[in-house]
Amino acid sequence: MAKPSFQAARIPGFATIAMLAFVALYLPILTLVVYSFNSEISMSNWGDLTLNWYAKAWANEQVKDATIRSLTIAGFAAVISTALATMAALGTTRRKAFKGQTFIYVVINQPLMVPEIVTAVALMILFGLIKTVTGVHGLGYLILAHSAFCIPFAYLPIRARLEGMDLTLETAAADLYASPWHTFRRVTLPLLMPGIIAGAMLAFVVSLDDVVITEFVKSAGQDTLPTYMLGQMRRQLTPEINAISAGLLALTVLMLTAFFLLTRKDD
Amino acid sequence: MKRLLTATALLLASTGLATAEGTLQLFNWGNYTSPELLAKFEKETGIKVTVTDYDSNDTALAKIEAGGHGFDLVVPSATYVQIFAEKGLTVPLDLAKLPNHGNIAPEWQNVSWDEGRKNSIPWQWGSVGISVNTDVYKGDPNTSALFLDPPDELKGKINVVPEMQDIIGLATRYHGGEYCSEDLEVLKKVRDTLMAAKPNWIAMDYGATEKMTNGDWAASVNWNGSSMRIRLDNDKVVYGYPKEGYPLWMDSVMLLKDAQNVDNAYTFMNFILQPENAAMISNFARYANGVAGSTEFMDPVMASAPEVVIPAEHVAAGVFPPTCNEKSREYMTAIWTELMK
Repeated sequence: MAKPSFQAARIPGFATIAMLAFVALYLPILTLVVYSFNSEISMSNWGDLTLNWYAKAWANEQVKDATIRSLTIAGFAAVISTALATMAALGTTRRKAFKGQTFIYVVINQPLMVPEIVTAVALMILFGLIKTVTGVHGLGYLILAHSAFCIPFAYLPIRARLEGMDLTLETAAADLYASPWHTFRRVTLPLLMPGIIAGAMLAFVVSLDDVVITEFVKSAGQDTLPTYMLGQMRRQLTPEINAISAGLLALTVLMLTAFFLLTRKDD
Repeated sequence: MKRLLTATALLLASTGLATAEGTLQLFNWGNYTSPELLAKFEKETGIKVTVTDYDSNDTALAKIEAGGHGFDLVVPSATYVQIFAEKGLTVPLDLAKLPNHGNIAPEWQNVSWDEGRKNSIPWQWGSVGISVNTDVYKGDPNTSALFLDPPDELKGKINVVPEMQDIIGLATRYHGGEYCSEDLEVLKKVRDTLMAAKPNWIAMDYGATEKMTNGDWAASVNWNGSSMRIRLDNDKVVYGYPKEGYPLWMDSVMLLKDAQNVDNAYTFMNFILQPENAAMISNFARYANGVAGSTEFMDPVMASAPEVVIPAEHVAAGVFPPTCNEKSREYMTAIWTELMK
């Protein structure tokens, strides 16, 4: 294949613009992290450097509770939605288009197309009905809701990976008397792994971040970290929020780094 | 796979068990409930209170209406108390179970949106007025003219919070109209005044506590508690009570119809009607409470603050805006949409 004659990286000023873009994106977050060490409550005054707010956040029962809940829901949602998304991707790609495929595609990606508040209210009404009729409460509803809207986020990377995969490998496996299940387990799945991991990561992060749907679907005692932070907005914000945000940021960065390192051994 | 299913089933069931004996589910505004109060309550009665947050009355109303929420108590604002009661989402209080009901301060025992306090008990209340930095403007702060017809010193330095009901309410009273007016003459004047004043506002945003402390804004329509906090940082800032009329707000505790822990709810409501406990709420949320005799237990800074204890000459101008009907809300929304363009 001929090397492309146009390379974006060669445009003069590219590096500068890239740096500026990074700064513009990350400066607010950096400011947030810096002010989490501020001993003064207001962001207009700078007091002394202190780790007080981190200690406060750590000791705050509600924060701990909300964090654990957020991570639990995100974990379950990522697993469930990735499993379903993998099946969906395998079913909808690399085959002759069948009748109603576009419709299936729309249904899978519906959470991306419909405004989040609409999904949130719809789920709230549905679950409210179910809860009143069956009397079953619990975290399951939130997990279900999160899994549902995380599916398209897991689906798209996996689908992209599948489309780029070489079909001949599977045909070769079939030629060598491998059963379809065997082919899937030993050939397709390993090749698909980077896509699945990417999809799972994305689903995890999206579920962790979610505010609107969780705010509406949650019931008694089910605050997640974002909804807890939303609830704090109406009153005076203290740097405790900064500390929590910095902690969440650190966790996300750690996770992404770990995954990056784990998946670096490429095919 | 099997372990996943079992874990999911357990999670599904586990939180349901939480609404057993000795618990209470309080649905309240975020950062509005003192953890010390809840700890003291648990120590005295053994009941564990779980607080779930909401950020607006509308969210709370939507969730309660949808059903299956699992809450026992909710704390809506004044106008929403009527809405909750009328929709049958809450139940009238059984006064026999509330021996401390008489502790409610006399001025709050009969409010337009809850006669005789049969449906709700006070949590916190406050007012909407104007915070002014007297270094910039030395005139009378007790008038809505400061934002509706800004004096030269405040042009381009005054902020107006984007609260539709409060701002249009203040402007309507400024023109002598009543809250929830449907009088087109008055509303036209309101709209014209607001549109003419808008170029002189520096912003329509929240955050006065920050922005006035560091001097970015010289004045702002603001809540009294926020103004007190600014004054504690910068003592040149005073809180003005518009003499033309200013809105009061109050958040009150109501008992939900499908509450699971009714007895615990009454115990809690009785508990917060005691002056020393009401004072704990005030010390945390930094607003006034509606219980008589709580001032002696409140933080001295608050007990003496003109933002918290309304000076006698300004009391009459403060009214709770009523719940506006469809027609007047339509007018307000129309004016507001035009203003926000």
